[in-house]
Amino acid sequence: MTTTTSRLKYLTNVGFAADFGGRGFSLPTSMAIRSDGRIFVVSRGKPSTKGSNGIQMVSKDHDFYGQIGTNDSALGGMIWPTSIVLDEYENMYLADEKLQRITKFDRDGKPLGYWGDTGSGEGQFCNPSGLLIRGDRMLLVDSGNNRVQEYSLDGKFFGQWGSGGNLDGPFDHPWGICDDIKGNIYVADWRNDRIQKFTAQGAHLASFGHSGSGEGELSRPAGLAVDAEGNMYVADWGNQRLQVLDSRGNYLDSHRGAADLNPWCIEYFDSQADERRARESFVPVYVPDIDDESEISARMEPYLWDPVDVQLDEDGRIYVLETGRHRFQIFER
Amino acid sequence: MTTVESKQDSVLMAHLLRRAGFGATPAEMDRAMGMGYESILQELINPDHDDIIPDDLIRRYHVDLSDLRSGGGPHWVYRLVMTDTPLREKMCLLWHRVFATAVTKLIQSRPVTNQISMFREHGMGSFDNLLIELSRDPAMIMWLDNQDNHGTNINENYGREILELFAMGVGNYSEEDIKETSRAFTGWRVVNPDYMSIRMRNNTARPFGYMSWQFEYDEVDHDGGEKTILGQTGNWNGEDAVRIICEQEATARFVARHIYHFFVADELPVPQWPHEPPRDPAAIDALVKAYFDSGHNIKAMLEVLFNSDFFKSESARNARIKSPAEMVIGTMRLAGPITLPSDDIFAADAACGNMGQGLMRPPSVEGWQGGVDWINTGAYVERVNFAGRILNDPNKSGVRDIIERIKTYSDAGSMTTDRLAEVAFDVLGPMDVMETTKSGLKNYLSKYGNLSWRDETESNNFDNAAIAAIQLIVSSQEYQTV
Repeated sequence: MTTTTSRLKYLTNVGFAADFGGRGFSLPTSMAIRSDGRIFVVSRGKPSTKGSNGIQMVSKDHDFYGQIGTNDSALGGMIWPTSIVLDEYENMYLADEKLQRITKFDRDGKPLGYWGDTGSGEGQFCNPSGLLIRGDRMLLVDSGNNRVQEYSLDGKFFGQWGSGGNLDGPFDHPWGICDDIKGNIYVADWRNDRIQKFTAQGAHLASFGHSGSGEGELSRPAGLAVDAEGNMYVADWGNQRLQVLDSRGNYLDSHRGAADLNPWCIEYFDSQADERRARESFVPVYVPDIDDESEISARMEPYLWDPVDVQLDEDGRIYVLETGRHRFQIFER
Repeated sequence: MTTVESKQDSVLMAHLLRRAGFGATPAEMDRAMGMGYESILQELINPDHDDIIPDDLIRRYHVDLSDLRSGGGPHWVYRLVMTDTPLREKMCLLWHRVFATAVTKLIQSRPVTNQISMFREHGMGSFDNLLIELSRDPAMIMWLDNQDNHGTNINENYGREILELFAMGVGNYSEEDIKETSRAFTGWRVVNPDYMSIRMRNNTARPFGYMSWQFEYDEVDHDGGEKTILGQTGNWNGEDAVRIICEQEATARFVARHIYHFFVADELPVPQWPHEPPRDPAAIDALVKAYFDSGHNIKAMLEVLFNSDFFKSESARNARIKSPAEMVIGTMRLAGPITLPSDDIFAADAACGNMGQGLMRPPSVEGWQGGVDWINTGAYVERVNFAGRILNDPNKSGVRDIIERIKTYSDAGSMTTDRLAEVAFDVLGPMDVMETTKSGLKNYLSKYGNLSWRDETESNNFDNAAIAAIQLIVSSQEYQTV
């Protein structure tokens, strides 16, 4: 792990373990921020637990607005949701890798329909993960087929690029996707431990990072975002950290997480006197006796645990969603 | 290297692979026969590599297993099916049975998963090391309340069980030894013991999900006074207590009997051991000798066991009832490697539980007795149903391989159903089966008529018949033994 002084400043976190729905999240996998500040968080949850998956609507200021979706395969339902994205009209699109389909919801969360065809042919996909909308086109990370596909917003297939491999261009189980203000595309090439940058047409421009846990190195990057200067904010999933790289892939910053008790948690402890009392002697971070970063995250409550998605808001805040801790942490830099 | 070729040798090899592993696919059996008994045994006992599983893929696609709060069973099933070091996993099952620790109290399976990993690392080494690691194991500490074992106020749970259930057995120590051993383990706890205890008691994942535990030694809370354990006096700490325990003849006999019980033949229930002699006293003596000659090394005991006449004898073969885990994992391995994501690992975990051996969910600290307890009407139906579910797809690589091997028994592209039954036993075996089992299978298969695979329709019919044969054999009474 890096010891460089971080310019990333932890601000707050939003979340709470909500296994049965309600205020909080359950094993969240993706998030999207609407222009009015409303945040949509996808809870993957447990398929066997009613209410544990859905789309929770919150704000960065700990408002909770409710939940969308049901735990089934009906219209509006989801089983293994992976990614959410908004279009310019603020409709929502949700990818599901169990149902192998994309579901469209309107701005108010009403399901409008779904599309998808499982397979490896043109217009088919296997395990859809990251989604990106550019105008009237959707880019879909077809993870099981190691490629990126382009669709209209109602599912009409336009094209695809990519294949399996580890040379420049090919992928190994790609996950997240985003773009920059110049229209370049970035894909988290998950099992190749790198970020790949492409033109809007899919021509390879650059690859950043390689396997490792040092500065500029990556382990199973999951999600990412790029700011106006071209800096990349990477959910370095395997290293359990947020890492910031400049536009050339040089290391700038990283953060292991620093979550404290948010207002939802404090309300909880107000109603749990025994747990609150025991927590008075609680030491949140201590010296681990292992070097497995996932296990360390499982022990240290403030740390990021399985950071999976990164989003930036209009004020430059950085939101890092963590599956293991059922929350997102907010940073600024 | 001696190559074994006779039928008798193949029967012995199959016996070894069932006991020291989970049985063999036809391809694994071919490889083993090419290597010979001694070489295969050395490979099983001395695996030369870590057993790597794609934990990243499991955590990504089975997100509900990613934090291991309740998915320890399916997670372990994946490893059991995919491992190429099966004896090491078998030893994990043995120690899980002896040092039974359940997620039901701990409310999360991550610490138990970590405990199993500890068995994987130490389960074939020195018994002293294993007991020390067990005593430091967070799951065990919380399971037996050692976080409440204070220098000023002891809790005897762990001190009692390490003597009674884990190392020596009733009758080989006194109540005073329990107290003194407990004193030796005061201050052995987890980090944040109060908060972790109350979260466990309240069964809560709030506010931010379950938290894994780490061992911590609190010297302030440790009773550093003089203690007498099993006749030895000193200012003993936990490591000293383990050393003293492991020096005892009773410990060697207790460990030997467990290993014999697990690998050779069913013993009486553990609570009867103080009152009844072992089934084979000479075998236990041989294992005890290996224990002391090797400095308490488990691997040395296994080497003696698997090379012994009492293990290799015909009377030992198919003399035990397969545990649910042995049956389920063996069936899964026959079907072929698991592709992630997989519903089968959840079905397998549930099946183990329905058959009476929920992985990471032993019924009590005494674990499972096994033997005839593994089979009753309901459990048998569960075994049949599970085999039917897992082996129903001709496109699973293991199933496909078996079908293609069956076809090689005919040059004509055809086979009678009677011949199919004979060949299927051979490919899945070698198995000694009763005539009634054979005739029952033949009768059932006769509904498929004359079989051939000359075109797609005929091939599909043959696949269906072959799958039925495989399912029925795996469901047979003989297949339930190991």
